[in-house]
Amino acid sequence: MSTTDDGDALPGIPNVGKADLDAMVEEERPDPRDELADVEADTDLGIAMAEDAQRVARGELTGDEYWEKYDEAAADEFGAAYRETPNPAVDAGDQTVSTETAESLSCTVGSMDAVSTEAAQVEGDGSEGGIGAGDEKWGMVIDLQKCVGCDSCTVACKSENRTPPGVSYNVVMEEEHGEFPNVTRTNVPRPCMQCDNPPCVQVCPVSATYKMDDGVVNIDYDRCIGCRYCNIACPYGARYFDFGGDYDDEVDGAGEVTSPEYGVDRGPREDGESPIGNIRKCSFCTHRLERGEEPACVETCIGDARNMGDLDDPDSDVAKMADSSRAFQLKEDEGTDPNVYYLK
Amino acid sequence: MATQSSHFEFAPGFEDGRLRIVWYAFVAVLVAGGAYATYLRLTRGMASTNLTSVVPWGAWVAFYIYFVGLSAGAFLVSTLANVFDVGAMHRIDRDALFAAIVSMAVALLFVWIDLGRMERMYYPFVWRQLTSALSWEVHAYVAYIGILVAELYFSMRIDLARLATRLDGTRATLYRLLALGRVDTSDASAAFDERWLKRVGIVGIPLAIFMVHGGTGVLFAVSKARPYWNSGLFPVIFIVSALLSGTALVMMIYVLRTRLFDGDAVDRDLLDQLAQLLLGFILVDAALTAIEALIAFTSFHPHAVETWLVVLFGEMSWSFWWFIVGASWVFPLVLLSKRSWRRTPSVMVLAGLSTVVGVVAVRFNIVIPAQITPVLEGLPHGSYFPTPVEWGTSIGIIGVGFLLYTVGAELLPLTPLSGGDHE
Ligand code: SF4
Ligand code: SF4
Repeated sequence: MSTTDDGDALPGIPNVGKADLDAMVEEERPDPRDELADVEADTDLGIAMAEDAQRVARGELTGDEYWEKYDEAAADEFGAAYRETPNPAVDAGDQTVSTETAESLSCTVGSMDAVSTEAAQVEGDGSEGGIGAGDEKWGMVIDLQKCVGCDSCTVACKSENRTPPGVSYNVVMEEEHGEFPNVTRTNVPRPCMQCDNPPCVQVCPVSATYKMDDGVVNIDYDRCIGCRYCNIACPYGARYFDFGGDYDDEVDGAGEVTSPEYGVDRGPREDGESPIGNIRKCSFCTHRLERGEEPACVETCIGDARNMGDLDDPDSDVAKMADSSRAFQLKEDEGTDPNVYYLK
Repeated sequence: MATQSSHFEFAPGFEDGRLRIVWYAFVAVLVAGGAYATYLRLTRGMASTNLTSVVPWGAWVAFYIYFVGLSAGAFLVSTLANVFDVGAMHRIDRDALFAAIVSMAVALLFVWIDLGRMERMYYPFVWRQLTSALSWEVHAYVAYIGILVAELYFSMRIDLARLATRLDGTRATLYRLLALGRVDTSDASAAFDERWLKRVGIVGIPLAIFMVHGGTGVLFAVSKARPYWNSGLFPVIFIVSALLSGTALVMMIYVLRTRLFDGDAVDRDLLDQLAQLLLGFILVDAALTAIEALIAFTSFHPHAVETWLVVLFGEMSWSFWWFIVGASWVFPLVLLSKRSWRRTPSVMVLAGLSTVVGVVAVRFNIVIPAQITPVLEGLPHGSYFPTPVEWGTSIGIIGVGFLLYTVGAELLPLTPLSGGDHE
């Protein structure tokens, strides 16, 4: 399989040329004549209709012309069944049949149309608290009662962001309380808190760390001088220095896989190239948020302990949870006002 | 010995040719070793250190604040002569200034080698962050080096002019260049220099105290995440230990250079003055450190208490007891306690050396312990000891400092031609 660059590939996602993919599909496609041979209806009519339908799709033929061309043949072939089935293509958008044509051909109009509109509405108001609306203030709520301490979030984050050895944006801290035999254990997952008053931004001498409008604190790898002052200043130990290691000993070619962070393709990890020598941290998977997806740790969470959403939207699940009496933030007295909340 | 007689002679530098060779050979070994270690640092990157994301700052940062402190301390000693007109101090003000300049160069080399991306060292001047103490510091260092150079120029200019007119050949040209062409040796020009020396010094004092060294303390003190540093006393302690190490350095250099370069007799009154100054700084430093520990313990803040326990009894306690308490306080205090010893150059060199070395441990004990205790319960504990690469580069950079100082001392009229007794 060859790879080509068609310009808008996402980092970390195999960039296979479109032609290759098309060829694969073509290979898998059954021969139309063989397929239609098993059907009672007229094979030649079927093939002709299929080919013209593709023309409609390409815009070479209008829906009206198509149905005028095949109306009679279809009625002959399928009889009453053809006349009684509603045509879902009537006025549902482009490349469809106009109502007048449908009526003149006596295609049934109405019922299917309504069905398709309903379906579109359900898709429209997804339950994600407005992910993708573009004006969010991202927040995460982690339910400590639901966390089972499986560390999948840590692993998902490592593989999503291709972090090198020693860099782990997300760890699960274990706390034991009590004396034997009355011992309990709490697992506290710790991503970057995306503080509202982030000390890491405050101390950076070159403004390489900055806070975005959506509440996420990001790093400009091309500006960071690697002084590690932010590392010292973060009260949550959420920053990691990239010493340049990789997993090549464990996985052949591990350094070849590119990182999707911030949607910038930096190519394979190379000595002397950022982010080696920079500081790194969790970005709430900014690149995924931009695609309307949840961060990898949220998506993978086995215990369903992690919730991602818009804290600015009072109706969102996370806003409600962050407001509940169970909610708290880590090191509240530091004044950092994290956007990661925990539920006791 | 330089005089203003008609047989004009000017030969600073080693009196003893063999000593010169030994010294330069020693410096060459340091620099060559450092160069190799730096090569490893450059090719292997930060992985050549024992730094981690838990302990991101180590030996290089400790040495950096150490040399900034040494510089600020030496500069403040020089102001005793230039601003406060303590008569006898005039003899050492240029030396103090020059040592301060070299210390800053060394400090900046340490900052540089510590950067994860060394090629971006000028970025703080391109992009600024007003809330960043480090950003302010970098600017303050540049301004401060400017002040130091201006001060040294005004304090030395008249002698450079004298040399430029009385010598000939390349040396004369060099001194003419260094004097920036101002070769007037009249009293009026001397008075002009002195006036400006004082003015620049007055600007320099707050810059050195509040920005350069106090500011370096602020760098740490603002870090609320590390309660061991996060105290108002912290920047003050920084300044006091800077004065401590700076005074010790100047005292040591004064004796050594007078003996080995000028072949002169040491001024025992001056030595005693410096020694008493040092004595005072040691007492204040020890007292402030004790207060700082007391505040930390009575705060019962777990992070502060734990960090102090690491310092006093934990894995770094050897450096606290042997180097800070032993080398920078108790041993010099004993040597400084007797008047006759304070007037004995060799004993004072020993006291100075002990303090200068001891304060290195003060800096290590500032930087590292606060990173040993994790910021959140459940995160890994830190542990750190520099790698051979870190030691090697550090010794090499210090070697560069020795080299710069010696070359300067061999060429420049650091001892006033008039003997230093103005008026
Ligand atoms: S948790 Fe640390 S790294 Fe994240 S925003 Fe807050 S201070 Fe910065
Ligand atoms: S390591 Fe980079 S991001 Fe952190 S303070 Fe330094 S320059 Fe800024």
